[in-house]
Amino acid sequence: MRRALVRVLPYALVGSLAAWLFYAATQIDFHRRPGTLGPDVWPKLVLGLMLAICVYEVVRVLVSPQWRGGAAGVLQEMVERTEQAHPDAAEPAAPKSLPLLLGGIALTAAYVWLIQRLGFVLATAPYVFAFIALGGYRRWLVNAATSVVGTLAMMFFFMKVVYVSLPIGAEPFAQVTIALMRLMGIR
Amino acid sequence: MMEVLQALGVGFVHVFAPANLAALFVGLVLGLLVAVLPGLTLVMGVVLALPFTYSMHVTPAIILLTAMYVAGTYAGAWTSILFHVPGEPIDVPMLWDGHAMARKGEAAKALGWTLSAALVGGLAAATVMVALAQPVARIALTFSTPEYFAIIFFGLASVVSLGGASLANALISLCAGLLVATVGVDDTYGAHRFTFGVPILSDGIDYLVVMVGAFGLGEVFVRMEQRFRSIPLQSAGEASTRLPSLREAAAVKGTYARGTLLGILIGLVPGAGATVASFLSYGVEAQYGRRKALMGSGIPEGIVAPQTAATSSVGGAMIPLMTMGIPGSGATAIILGAFLLHGLQPGPQVFETSREIVYAVFASIFVAVIGMCVIGYFAARYLVRVLELPEVIVSAYVVMCCILGAFAARNNITDVWLIVVFGVIGYLCERFRFPITPMVLGVILGPLAETNFMTTMISFGNDWTVFFTRPISGTIMVIALLTIVYPIFRQLRKRAT
Repeated sequence: MRRALVRVLPYALVGSLAAWLFYAATQIDFHRRPGTLGPDVWPKLVLGLMLAICVYEVVRVLVSPQWRGGAAGVLQEMVERTEQAHPDAAEPAAPKSLPLLLGGIALTAAYVWLIQRLGFVLATAPYVFAFIALGGYRRWLVNAATSVVGTLAMMFFFMKVVYVSLPIGAEPFAQVTIALMRLMGIR
Repeated sequence: MMEVLQALGVGFVHVFAPANLAALFVGLVLGLLVAVLPGLTLVMGVVLALPFTYSMHVTPAIILLTAMYVAGTYAGAWTSILFHVPGEPIDVPMLWDGHAMARKGEAAKALGWTLSAALVGGLAAATVMVALAQPVARIALTFSTPEYFAIIFFGLASVVSLGGASLANALISLCAGLLVATVGVDDTYGAHRFTFGVPILSDGIDYLVVMVGAFGLGEVFVRMEQRFRSIPLQSAGEASTRLPSLREAAAVKGTYARGTLLGILIGLVPGAGATVASFLSYGVEAQYGRRKALMGSGIPEGIVAPQTAATSSVGGAMIPLMTMGIPGSGATAIILGAFLLHGLQPGPQVFETSREIVYAVFASIFVAVIGMCVIGYFAARYLVRVLELPEVIVSAYVVMCCILGAFAARNNITDVWLIVVFGVIGYLCERFRFPITPMVLGVILGPLAETNFMTTMISFGNDWTVFFTRPISGTIMVIALLTIVYPIFRQLRKRAT
């Protein structure tokens, strides 16, 4: 039963979200013209379908928990059949690390937060360094060189060649970026 | 026919203009590198290259991305054959006969068979693409909104019903994409839909953000959870290529033909890209080939079948993209995005309004196939050395490119936050087996589907039966519904027995 509940969970969550969004769609504010469909119709159709599939999946799993797979794509099934004929080629399941994943997501979120304050260069080089270190790479000098050179190269390419203005950050960090830009001939 | 050949000739002239040729070369090298690196998928590579094309003219931009797409179907086979490491999911069937042939001491020969298969499949599919595009576009020009809606509906239906591992999950993913596309201010009524008072959401969620986040960042999170496994490599010094003789190639001409035909057909079907083509072609050869009993022991048929299909699927996928604006695969979805970013909507009109660009792109596929084989012949041994790069370093740069790509599109930091959100959604999709491609196609095709649906409703007095009563749209709608119903029916029948 516990396994069935775990399998049901994603559908229950998505279904609840769809139900809430369906309610939000009923609240869309617009001036209705007689005889025409409003801007709420299309999202309601999509959400209705989404909700129906989620309810179907929840019921299907709860009613017959031992029935594993639902209907699958025709071509996908053929692909899987070919793959099953060569079990030796299957990749061994990789060991997973949730802390590493959460660390990576947190680090990336922190980077986005910092990029507005420190600017692209000052936020990116430490981020790349920290990301590589978090990923288990322990050659510190190579890591540092890769982070700094790569960041400067990207900055040069985007600001000088592609003409994309990257964030320079808030004061006093902006001054560092501006000085670097002058050094690299970026106006 | 002469008209098409003339346009193609002009296209070749455009391709050999310095800027376009440079873009093609860069695209080929990047595509080959992306295909070799196991941490980078072909689609992810094309997504990451997209921001670098923002400042380019539309022709070199599309040529670069298309060249990456073509090359991406080829080079992953090298690592499958040499190191038993598939660079892309497309290249898994190469492990079975390609690597087996290499183990027999014939690695150079295996690489030669791969090259010949990519060349034959790529050129044949490009020829079919050029021959079919104009007639299909002419037919599409006669379509009205119900037919267009029916075609988009068929495209979306086949994405979920043919390629997905679970029909329900694929449908949910598609609905999520269609829903994301509705966020923002509605064009007709000016109503705010799902903006929740957040000002930036009024402009809508850019499909680029969804693509970069879900395909790029999401994949990095998946690899991160798997601790960025690195691959121990043997020496790549022996990676030379020895082409099969004409007599040897003629002996497997049936395999070349079957693989090419299957690749083009699979490429035409939205949602079933090079990976499905490669596996199916191998499966067909193993079931119906002349030497089916020897498949898996290192015979040329086992290399030629998947490789011809993989490369020829590119030509097939480009037909619905260019003639109707419907992408047939993840990579063509991004190429469609690039077209839209440059203010060009692929479809039948584009053959009238931007003929030169269309045929330059077509011609570039011929040049790309030949160029990729030339580079592959001479440089495979050098390019596979990229595998020695630690995956975590490559991934750090992938994240950087994702962030830059999202920011550069609208110079808006909220888009960067959104790609982190879609990165996490992409990871969750992978984790819980919800395919990402339907979501991305939903975001891209959603506005088109809604506009055609609403326009039809307005034009035909809210009579939804019009989709079924007009001959062309009715036929397409019925086929689309059958593609959804058939897997369910099959599953129910299987369960009953």
